[in-house]
Amino acid sequence: MNILLQCWSGYARMTRRWPALAAIVPFIPVVALWSAVAAAGIFPRAFFPGPVDVVNSFFTLIYKGILPDYLGDSLIRLFTGAAVGMALGIPLGVLIGTSRWAHRICWPILLFFQAIGDIAWLPILLIWFGFGLTTMTFVIVYTVLFPVVLNTVLGVESVPRDLARAARSLGASPARVLWEVTLPGALPNIITGLRNGLGYGWRALIAVEMIVSTSGIGFMMFDARRAGSTVEILLGMIILGLLWYIVDAWILAPLERATGQRWGLVTS
Amino acid sequence: MKTLSLKNLAKTYFDPYAGSHVNAVHDVSLNVEQGEFVSVVGPSGCGKTTILNMIAGFIPYTGGEILLDGKPVREPGPERGVVFQSFALFPWKTVLDNVGFGPKMRGVPKAERDRIAREYLALAGLSHAAHRYPNELSGGMQQRVGVVRALANNPDVLLMDEPFASVDAQTRMTLQEELTRIWQERKPTVLFITHDVSEAVFLANRVVVLSKGRILDQVEVDLPRPRVWDDLVKDDKFKQLSARVLQMVRAA
Repeated sequence: MNILLQCWSGYARMTRRWPALAAIVPFIPVVALWSAVAAAGIFPRAFFPGPVDVVNSFFTLIYKGILPDYLGDSLIRLFTGAAVGMALGIPLGVLIGTSRWAHRICWPILLFFQAIGDIAWLPILLIWFGFGLTTMTFVIVYTVLFPVVLNTVLGVESVPRDLARAARSLGASPARVLWEVTLPGALPNIITGLRNGLGYGWRALIAVEMIVSTSGIGFMMFDARRAGSTVEILLGMIILGLLWYIVDAWILAPLERATGQRWGLVTS
Repeated sequence: MKTLSLKNLAKTYFDPYAGSHVNAVHDVSLNVEQGEFVSVVGPSGCGKTTILNMIAGFIPYTGGEILLDGKPVREPGPERGVVFQSFALFPWKTVLDNVGFGPKMRGVPKAERDRIAREYLALAGLSHAAHRYPNELSGGMQQRVGVVRALANNPDVLLMDEPFASVDAQTRMTLQEELTRIWQERKPTVLFITHDVSEAVFLANRVVVLSKGRILDQVEVDLPRPRVWDDLVKDDKFKQLSARVLQMVRAA
């Protein structure tokens, strides 16, 4: 019993020093189970490779330069799409959030198009733009746009009216109220929107790459299927999860907390 | 002399659910002279906040006029500072930047507006809190910031909308005493809205009693200053005045 408590205390202290450790430890049993099933030989190894095979393939693909290239392609597509989506989505969200007329006109249209998911656009996009970057960028921008717009509207509408009034009676013009009050007040929600948008965009990108692309992680996985390389498919899946975890837990979530919590806009 | 004057001020709403017009304020005429402290007191729904919102330029009026220094008022402007019941501090700005906001809007350079903000923070005994964020302060401290933020912009008239209604009773008394002290030092023109009769009498030179959108009566308060609660609670004149105003408000 005492030993268990000692272990627990050691773990608590370690994770406080290296918080990343707390994210890794839960995967230990998952990987262990995977190894055990693979080692037991229930399934043929070509169908169900173990962790070691996947790690080996990881190093091989890095050595060949394929993985870094594909990963770079996917990330550039994601961030280009996200940047365009934000550049369109934040101003649109502010407009809808501040103007009652814009809200009345745009809101139904927005909800209508939100229902037509990213992949549902592919048939028409392939006819219009063909298999290429334009189609992929369209899908990413489209996917990122909605969470950014909807959360920006929410953020703008949640800024207390008295704040804008206070700024006006301290001499701010309506344009400065937008810059000094509306945007900072909506910022925590805008970041939430960005966080959701990137998450959806990342998934949409992989799907589109499978169909449209000749590079990228999605293409790598689909191409591996053609070659019957289960290892590379599993590797692709692991990279997707890992990369998103890093972007979300290490960049986006702290950013979200830093704005909202510091200002007392978000509790806990 | 910069006089705030309301002439036959009126506000009519159209209530779409009732399908009829509602007169929230009718025919209010009132002058507030420069350096005067006027309290407006009345039961809830008497139109006092509506009047303040019209003077501040937050909502339009439908009849009569509002003049400040002879010029008609239509929109919010820095010559009319407002202190809100909700404090309305900018949560993403430090206390210093909140107080320096008005000067910033006037284009005052950073160093100068920090100096102004520090001067006003010292006035409210808040120098130590300059670099904190509003949510790190108690309600009483937040409203001190709210008051000096409005004062730091050097407005012609200070409009206060039940500013102490959301702090606890002890803090409220302290804030009231501080406000009378600051008023004596700086002599700003103040229009103070409240539903609390003793607060209205304690602070003001003149108490205006409002009922159903009309001015019922006005009472001069010639109590000596500085005013502190420890003295006034025992003061017969204060008790008499409060009782008189209370009677009017209750009859209203």
